[in-house]
Amino acid sequence: MFPIPLKDCELCSQEQKCYAKYTKNMIKEVLSLDNILNESHIRIKEEAEDWEGAIRKAGDVLVQAGSIKPAYIDKMIRSVKELGPYIVIMPGFALAHAAPCEDVVKSDIALITLKNPVCFKSPNDPVSVVLCLGCTDSSSHLDMLSAIAGLLMEEGRIPEIAGADSAKEVIGILSGAEK
Amino acid sequence: MGTIRIQTVCGFGCGSSLFLKMKIQDILKENNLEAEVFCGDIGTCISTPCDVIFTSEELASRIKDRSKVPVVTIGSFVNKKEVTAKTLEFFQSLEG
Repeated sequence: MFPIPLKDCELCSQEQKCYAKYTKNMIKEVLSLDNILNESHIRIKEEAEDWEGAIRKAGDVLVQAGSIKPAYIDKMIRSVKELGPYIVIMPGFALAHAAPCEDVVKSDIALITLKNPVCFKSPNDPVSVVLCLGCTDSSSHLDMLSAIAGLLMEEGRIPEIAGADSAKEVIGILSGAEK
Repeated sequence: MGTIRIQTVCGFGCGSSLFLKMKIQDILKENNLEAEVFCGDIGTCISTPCDVIFTSEELASRIKDRSKVPVVTIGSFVNKKEVTAKTLEFFQSLEG
């Protein structure tokens, strides 16, 4: 969980007394967009030949970040083969993930956009935005994922993200900033 | 009648089911409806007590025959029109 503040409250210099306020502030900070999905976890116009390649590209971002082991990528692909393309939950968008397991080092999220959209054989094809989620258990990532889900589920958001030319632009779209 | 329990289901109960849960909660709020919405996974959802299951078309085909409660399929989780219509339809079916 969140680290216990051992020093005086940064907000008002009172010792201990406003612990609640301090913690609340910290939670807000932890859940800010920058902590959920920053530019280092976004790749733009990646090239993938098919849906498997797209999941690999998205998974690679988390492997490089040290959040998942490569074996997790195979598990995400296997899950689509076993359960079908249900991860394509809305037009143009796939939420790649597998069950929580030991191949996840820490709960994390990466987002890629594709230069050429791929097909998953889903009614919501073609897919041009893939969000890769790794979670250590079934609850620790929920705040993080809810926050990002709220930002992605606006109608028209996905095509907008797919068309972005830089990671910075994606962050701008998600935070609702003017271009 | 107790609180209506809506289970949103995905492969592992921790990814897309959360997206659907949030969408349904928004719609319930907008329409002044009350229900408990929670996530479940495809492997165990059948044995979890609930009044209805909301899931994707691909997963629905795996549980439809075995489920004791209605299984509602959603094509696009972002399509508010679709999710609203199907949620309201379910609530209407309770009255009938």
